[in-house]
Amino acid sequence: MLRNVFLKTLRDSRRSITYYSIGMIATGLYVAMLYPTIRDASGLTEFMEQMPEVMRNLIGDIETLNTPEGFLNVEIFSFMAPLIAGIFAIIAGTGAIAGEEEKGTLDQLMANPASRRQVMIQKIGAMLTGLLVINLALGIGLVVGAVLSDFDLSISRLAQATISLYALTAALGLIALGVGASTGRKGVAAGVAAAVGVIGFLLETFLSVVEFLEPTKFVSVFFYYNSNDVIIHGLNYVHLLALVMVGVVATVVGLWKFERRDLQN
Amino acid sequence: MTSAIKTESLTKYYGEHLGIQNLNLDINEGEVFGLLGPNGAGKTTTIRVFLDFIRPTSGTATVLGLDSVSDSVAIRDRVGYLPGDFITYERMTGAQLLEYFASMRGNGLGRAKELAERFSLDLDRKIGELSRGNRQKVGLVQAFMSYPELLILDEPTTGLDPLLQQEFHSLTQEEASEGRTVFISSHVLSEVEAICDRVGIIRDGELVTVEQIDDLKQRALAMVKIEFEDEIRPDDFEAVDGVSDVSVTDHTLTCYVTGSVDSLIKAASEHTVNRIESAQPGLEEVFLAYYSDEGNVQEASDA
Repeated sequence: MLRNVFLKTLRDSRRSITYYSIGMIATGLYVAMLYPTIRDASGLTEFMEQMPEVMRNLIGDIETLNTPEGFLNVEIFSFMAPLIAGIFAIIAGTGAIAGEEEKGTLDQLMANPASRRQVMIQKIGAMLTGLLVINLALGIGLVVGAVLSDFDLSISRLAQATISLYALTAALGLIALGVGASTGRKGVAAGVAAAVGVIGFLLETFLSVVEFLEPTKFVSVFFYYNSNDVIIHGLNYVHLLALVMVGVVATVVGLWKFERRDLQN
Repeated sequence: MTSAIKTESLTKYYGEHLGIQNLNLDINEGEVFGLLGPNGAGKTTTIRVFLDFIRPTSGTATVLGLDSVSDSVAIRDRVGYLPGDFITYERMTGAQLLEYFASMRGNGLGRAKELAERFSLDLDRKIGELSRGNRQKVGLVQAFMSYPELLILDEPTTGLDPLLQQEFHSLTQEEASEGRTVFISSHVLSEVEAICDRVGIIRDGELVTVEQIDDLKQRALAMVKIEFEDEIRPDDFEAVDGVSDVSVTDHTLTCYVTGSVDSLIKAASEHTVNRIESAQPGLEEVFLAYYSDEGNVQEASDA
């Protein structure tokens, strides 16, 4: 596990990957096993329908709350999963280069015969691998929960939602990593990535309610992530591509700056 | 003779702030070269350019015949680096760190184990739990383990106990005797004196002089204090060869001597001498010596 930067970085995050994965499996299991109770609760749909439209929009797609996909869309994919995986991605992305630089360990690493490009790409690989494990853990938790609670869940739709979740959180992680590589500063890296996530979430959640926010939806990463409720309606490949492009741009800009700037002492 | 390191008008500014200016260095292959200067003079800046941690504002640095910017990976493949404060992954053990760095270099661990044994370093302990001295030993092992052609050492023994410093110097000398080039920075003359062939003095980002260590010592001013039995007059010593800045309080003479102290000792023997004290020339005195030749003593002592 110490053969190169990729494996070593992955090895460093083995504990955090394990804990986040356990958390994801537990969340998936718990929410999936909660579903039959909600579905069978009498009067829930009627209750929801009596709510003002604004409230209903905030809660989610209520017409489908009594289907497994609709329920998981609201309970998992709208907020909980992006939050957990997003935090992991931003922490990993921030630590990759800016973190090493602030701790002072980057000099000694770079005294070895590896180019900055090689180091950064291997660090990106390690972050994306860890993030993939965490996303898969959520999927496993949900599938096992569905089996235990004995309800039918579309595996294909679940996979598509997980892919979209992975694309969103990878984009956030790559923003953190790219800004960290550009500036060498953890605070800036984490701040920018978190702002993109949080502002994106707020815009997407409220834009259907507040009319003047409507035109801003295109700047929200959450719009591309789940505005069409992927687990219910399936992936929108243009939106997926948009998220991938966010990650690619963050990587290219970060790499360009990292290869040209001075390392901090 | 081929150059191991050659800089041409090497200049580095950090924004407005000057790092180094117009540095022209030419270090021969197989040489042990010391870059001597006070803290903040530009020693670390120079070294960080060699390793491509930072980029020159203007001028060039050529290391082992390769350009410091465009060929930096090839350079680092052939260079061992140790800074004064060896900071690395605290949660790794020494063995893990060395394994990691060795595999990045495509090397085995044979030499590393040998060095660890020689310096009685416990490689199974986490680096974060090691004392400063032991941590620096890990740094030393990783710098030397790949048989580098060039060793770049930035104040490597600062804060180490004298015994370890001594061991460190012998290792450096062994490496040099096998034909490797050593570039070492220091703010302590005695360290440079112990191992270097040639010394460059750097101050405020500029190279003041490059000299053979023996020539430099010749020019160094040593402070001598002599306590006499009887009262003495300053006039008795002011004219003595190599003596300057004579002052007399009570029965005690204080003065500076350049080169040999022979004339002073002979002059002193006219009187009854109780005690002689002599201070090793420090960096300040070397500067003073250098600048007194240039008629710039005041500038140097103000600095």
